[in-house]
Amino acid sequence: MSIIEVKNLNVTYRVLMNQTGSLKELFRDAIKGKARVVKYIALQDISFNVEKGEVLAILGRNGAGKSTLLKVLAGVLPPTKGSSKVNGMIAPMIELGAGFHPEMTGAENVLFYSALMGREIKAVKQRIQPIGEWAGVSDHMNFPLRTFSSGMVARLAFATATDDMAEVLLVDEVLSVGDSDFQEKSKSRMREAIQGGTAVVLVSHDRRAVLELATKAIWLEDGRIKMSGNPQEVVTAYEANQ
Amino acid sequence: MKYAQLIRLLVNRELTLRYKRSVIGIGWTLLNPMLTSFVLWVVFSFVFASRLPGTQQYAPYLMAGILLNTFFNQGVTFSAESIASNGSILTKIYVPPQIFPISTALAGLVNFFIGMIPLSIVCLISGQAIAWTMPLVLIVGVCLALLTSGIGLTLSILYIRFDDTRNIVGVLLMILMYFTPIFYPISILSERLQMIVSFNPLTSYLDVFRWAFSDNATASLFDWGYMLSTSLVSILIGTFVFKRYWPRTVAML
Repeated sequence: MSIIEVKNLNVTYRVLMNQTGSLKELFRDAIKGKARVVKYIALQDISFNVEKGEVLAILGRNGAGKSTLLKVLAGVLPPTKGSSKVNGMIAPMIELGAGFHPEMTGAENVLFYSALMGREIKAVKQRIQPIGEWAGVSDHMNFPLRTFSSGMVARLAFATATDDMAEVLLVDEVLSVGDSDFQEKSKSRMREAIQGGTAVVLVSHDRRAVLELATKAIWLEDGRIKMSGNPQEVVTAYEANQ
Repeated sequence: MKYAQLIRLLVNRELTLRYKRSVIGIGWTLLNPMLTSFVLWVVFSFVFASRLPGTQQYAPYLMAGILLNTFFNQGVTFSAESIASNGSILTKIYVPPQIFPISTALAGLVNFFIGMIPLSIVCLISGQAIAWTMPLVLIVGVCLALLTSGIGLTLSILYIRFDDTRNIVGVLLMILMYFTPIFYPISILSERLQMIVSFNPLTSYLDVFRWAFSDNATASLFDWGYMLSTSLVSILIGTFVFKRYWPRTVAML
């Protein structure tokens, strides 16, 4: 059984023409017969599998459907057609620190973020100090997050997200967090996890990171798979097309 | 339940965050209703205090109204807003989105129960005895939490789809407040107006609450029935609407 199985996945957004988001204008347009719902196809006929310990890189221009695909994999956005099955715990590392609150302390944020990812609170309480140390912010854990620098926040978020390795990591451009030392540290932690059997879906424009980590790659264009296979070949073809 | 710990954290966050930067912190939860009640009491006691029947005291009457209205008003506004304001989480990590409006309503419930402390004090000061039926306030609180989360769930979908729902809801809540006997006794109204005010479910909630806490109103069987049925209908409609429209709404976050 693959860890991630995506089969004939289609996602369609229904978009209101002249979208205004105001009831008054919707009402006016409806009376004039101008309100029209347009279907916008974000993903079309996507199929792939990811096995244990594999790293799938997703390439594509802005608007190609990468973020939509990650949302579907995270279970946040339901597919319009087809299916997406993830067998295991997911740690979404899409825009790190999405659940962080500036008025809460570092420790409180670690706790809350971990609870969001479905971890057991009691176990996480023991992990707060090690997480802070790994992120290099252990002296600050009892201060509100607003006193952290943005680099510190990102490091803390990365440390929390990867502390208890999930079976699946969804990574969106977060390997470029922090200074070069921390980047090395985070990359080696990723490698460790992959060796331990974690499956990774990686969206990145960082060609080096893709070639270094990925075991296969998909190139998305206009919501379809344009090419898939060996990362070296896909990256080369993708870059030739730019 | 798997998400119980997350709900507990969210309620906690809701309760402490609002006063995080203030000196007395959560003490404001106690102080706020007392101050509001005091101001309104100064303003209105000349007009309405003498119009209350028999042994009813105006100060606890007023404060009970304010506590209930704060719970309802804030519960509805905050829980309706909770989905939109947690959009950055909901588009990235899968958690059942309903837990945000529900946690907000639960935080309101806790605040409401904390409010029983200053209400008791006001009762003591004004010489209104606390009734032995007081534990029944628990039922009122739970019903209100169900009512507000039901409305909040429905509105949270509308808030994302149509920006201007916020303003409409603000006005509606204000109208509803004036049609609830918070600071006036219902007996001062004309018969027609009394009918409209009794039609407002919040009037029944308030009657039951005042009666249960300190025998400061009369609650009929109709009031109980109206309270229980509206809370159930609200939460059923809320969960249904949310389930039905959420898949399409999440794409708009």
